[in-house]
Amino acid sequence: VRRKSGRFWAALEWGTKVSFVTQRPLELILARNLMSALSTPAFLVDEGGLLVFYNEAAGMLLGKRFEELGAVGPLEWGSLFGPFDENGEPIPYDELPLVTAVRAGRPAHAELTVRSTDGAQHEVEVSALPILTAHGSQGAIAVFWPSQAKDKGAAAL
Amino acid sequence: VKVKLWGTRGSIPAPGPETIRYGGNTSCVGVTLSDGSLLALDAGTGIRCLGLALPEEPTRLHILLTHLHLDHIQGLVFFAPAFRPQTEIVIWGPASPEASLRDRIARYVSAPLSPVEVRELPCDVSFRHCPETEWEIGSARIRAASVAHRGPTLGYRIDDGDSSLTYIPDHEPALGADIDELEEDWISGFALAQDTSLLIHDGQYTDAEYPGHVGWGHSALGHTLSFARRTGARRTVLFHHDPLHSDDLLDEVADEAGRRWAELGGDSAAVELGAERTEYELPARAAAPAPATPA
Repeated sequence: VRRKSGRFWAALEWGTKVSFVTQRPLELILARNLMSALSTPAFLVDEGGLLVFYNEAAGMLLGKRFEELGAVGPLEWGSLFGPFDENGEPIPYDELPLVTAVRAGRPAHAELTVRSTDGAQHEVEVSALPILTAHGSQGAIAVFWPSQAKDKGAAAL
Repeated sequence: VKVKLWGTRGSIPAPGPETIRYGGNTSCVGVTLSDGSLLALDAGTGIRCLGLALPEEPTRLHILLTHLHLDHIQGLVFFAPAFRPQTEIVIWGPASPEASLRDRIARYVSAPLSPVEVRELPCDVSFRHCPETEWEIGSARIRAASVAHRGPTLGYRIDDGDSSLTYIPDHEPALGADIDELEEDWISGFALAQDTSLLIHDGQYTDAEYPGHVGWGHSALGHTLSFARRTGARRTVLFHHDPLHSDDLLDEVADEAGRRWAELGGDSAAVELGAERTEYELPARAAAPAPATPA
């Protein structure tokens, strides 16, 4: 049974229970540590596309700190924050730069709109980079920039 | 399971009257498993003395390298069993996209740095990249995982019966992170050290020295204590001493480590500084628990 903390429980032969932690790949750990020190909004997904971290700057953009939200899947993410295209339509999950980076293992860039918890919409540019290691893809990082001419709220970050 | 420290120094050998008690040889730990299988953790200059202590009869030995910085491989060409045809040596280490383990080690074990080449070693030597999954050597299950250091670097966990040994000599888990605050699965090396019987861990710097060495790949005393507390290590040995640290200074660090560990609620005797030739026999069952994590 997976717990939110990342611990797993396993039953031993004699029936006692022990817990052990499934370790995040080192590359994700280092990426998170770097992102924590950045003032640029940045997001981190694992190899399965699960959002596993975003930094304080991203939290300011979205109106919710990661510690309040926790790891979320793409459906929940989409219902909370979008993103949307220039016509206000939700962008399919498969077309998001982060998903391209994880699945195709190549950088991807897009302009899109995200919605913060107060309902404000922010037009941003997104660049996503795959995290490739000797053991294959471990996830991806996405960095957001406010679209300079269009989004005054995000530009104030 | 018997563990013996043959080299506890980091970075570069530091022989001299100032380092006699803790030792001047670089990283090497000898492990004798419960079935008699022999492991050497790293091959710093300490492995030379380990080799001299081994019998000359046919020997099979596994050398587990955490990484290939010189202070962890420098003793290879002075390891006496490597020059005996009856010896079989399996060298395990981290994979790299750049070159095989054998080729990377051969950069050191070759001219002009070495008088012998890998292919000239009389022993039967083979090189293996550590798998991502657990594997077995003798009576032990071995696990290797990448840890925060400079370049591809592994930590090891060796489980034999109810005992476990965790060896992470070069490690900076606090780089850009607060170990006391992070979730467990986001702490570098956590799974290797969780509830381990004996943790041998990087403790190169004092807390006062660390700010001048951020990103160098090593831990300060406070980081190591936090890591040990979070992982629930039963006993902790600080290792990879800075070459500038004299015995007298390390005595002060040892006193401080015990005091701070006691303040965290642990047994002050459960934290110590590694000294050359110190031996440990791992208990069949864990004894003193580590201090509980504060709420």
